[in-house]
Amino acid sequence: MIIIESCVGCTKCVPYCPSSAISLGKDRKAHIDRHKCIECTVCFNNAGCPVNAFQLEELEFPRSVREVFATVYKAHKDTNVPGRGTEEMKTNDVTGRFRPGMVGFSCDMGRPGVGLELRDAEKLCMALAKHGVEFEPLNPLTSLMSDKKTGKLRDDVLGERVHSCIPEFTINEERFPEVLEALKKVSKEINTVFSLGLCVKINEDGSVPIMKYLDDNKIPYYPGGKTNIGIGVPLAKF
Amino acid sequence: MTHTLHRSGTKESLSIDYPILVIAAQSVNAKGSGPQFKKALEIILKHNPVNVGDMRTGNYFRKGLKPVLNSTKDNSIAHGVFTNKKDLEECLKELAEAKLGPSVVATGVFSEVWDSLNKIGLKPHSANISLGVWGKKELLPEQDILDITTMCGHHCVSPLLVKKMVSDVKRDKISIEEASRELAKPCVCGVFNTLRAEILLENLINKS
Repeated sequence: MIIIESCVGCTKCVPYCPSSAISLGKDRKAHIDRHKCIECTVCFNNAGCPVNAFQLEELEFPRSVREVFATVYKAHKDTNVPGRGTEEMKTNDVTGRFRPGMVGFSCDMGRPGVGLELRDAEKLCMALAKHGVEFEPLNPLTSLMSDKKTGKLRDDVLGERVHSCIPEFTINEERFPEVLEALKKVSKEINTVFSLGLCVKINEDGSVPIMKYLDDNKIPYYPGGKTNIGIGVPLAKF
Repeated sequence: MTHTLHRSGTKESLSIDYPILVIAAQSVNAKGSGPQFKKALEIILKHNPVNVGDMRTGNYFRKGLKPVLNSTKDNSIAHGVFTNKKDLEECLKELAEAKLGPSVVATGVFSEVWDSLNKIGLKPHSANISLGVWGKKELLPEQDILDITTMCGHHCVSPLLVKKMVSDVKRDKISIEEASRELAKPCVCGVFNTLRAEILLENLINKS
């Protein structure tokens, strides 16, 4: 929050806000739009307010979920992993989480830079749950589900605006087209964006299972991505 | 947590962008791994990174080097960003030889990264592929702004700040290098590529 009495209206903080929640009011003081604010603390940590007018608040539930999905360096209480998701494929060489024949999905909702109300995350999760998708239990979003089978979130968090959250799940490769189609459909029904990531174990011959399907079906993907280079110890057995 | 996956840009622009991360599995090899992240960061620093950081502490540009190196924990995620394949290869080779325990992930154009791995005798293990942005894309900032802001995967670098930096450079208030370093500060992990940002900022300045 901004201590209005301290603010000198220099506007230095305004451009730092990733969700454009700070503006100069008629009183020539900077104000934070509480609905837009995603509690990321970027303004507090980086704007260099000349009069230290920013103050961190102790947030109560449900507003505190904004902080969980925005503050990067804090580790989540259930996973001990900092950030908004899980270790995904980053530790797959030692965990063996994504095995041959499986495809991991991460729908990074609100990203890049749009944000979302959690009711849109619920919409996407419920659409996927109809296809029998099981959500990653250690993901912070899954912990907000009142019914993990249907993807329903707790009612008291639905109106909360977050920077991004990541529905995560793993399916058998043969179900990939069906789930992709479900995502395509629900993408037209949500009031935000999501960046879609896929995790796979690379075959021994160096081929990547899902890439052939993407190429054959002319489904575009970025030329760059992440590669786990397989030097973790101890290595998982596949 | 897909913080270096969705970096947008052309293949050419991404050819100077190779972030790596070092992470332990909380369920397997994290216990007692804190000091290994310091060793990993020390190795990264030998190979000319343009940025380094630890997700638990922050990045070099905001925190300075010492706090990043001396605060590693069992759930640290250490990062370094390289701007050419040679530095990437030499760093990955040294990390592999050090057998630190935590996993290592390299981001970049797949064909380039896999070529580098092949050269140093490593095989890609798992891949994370981006199918780009879906949904209400009309809400997105302009693409040339996104090419800069997506270098902070958690999107802590604001599009408005990019525009402010462009304006400040145009008015000779700061240099492009200073603008790029300012943009790197909110990216806690230290995966923002300052060299690539300078080039992208210059393009934006020339366009406006």
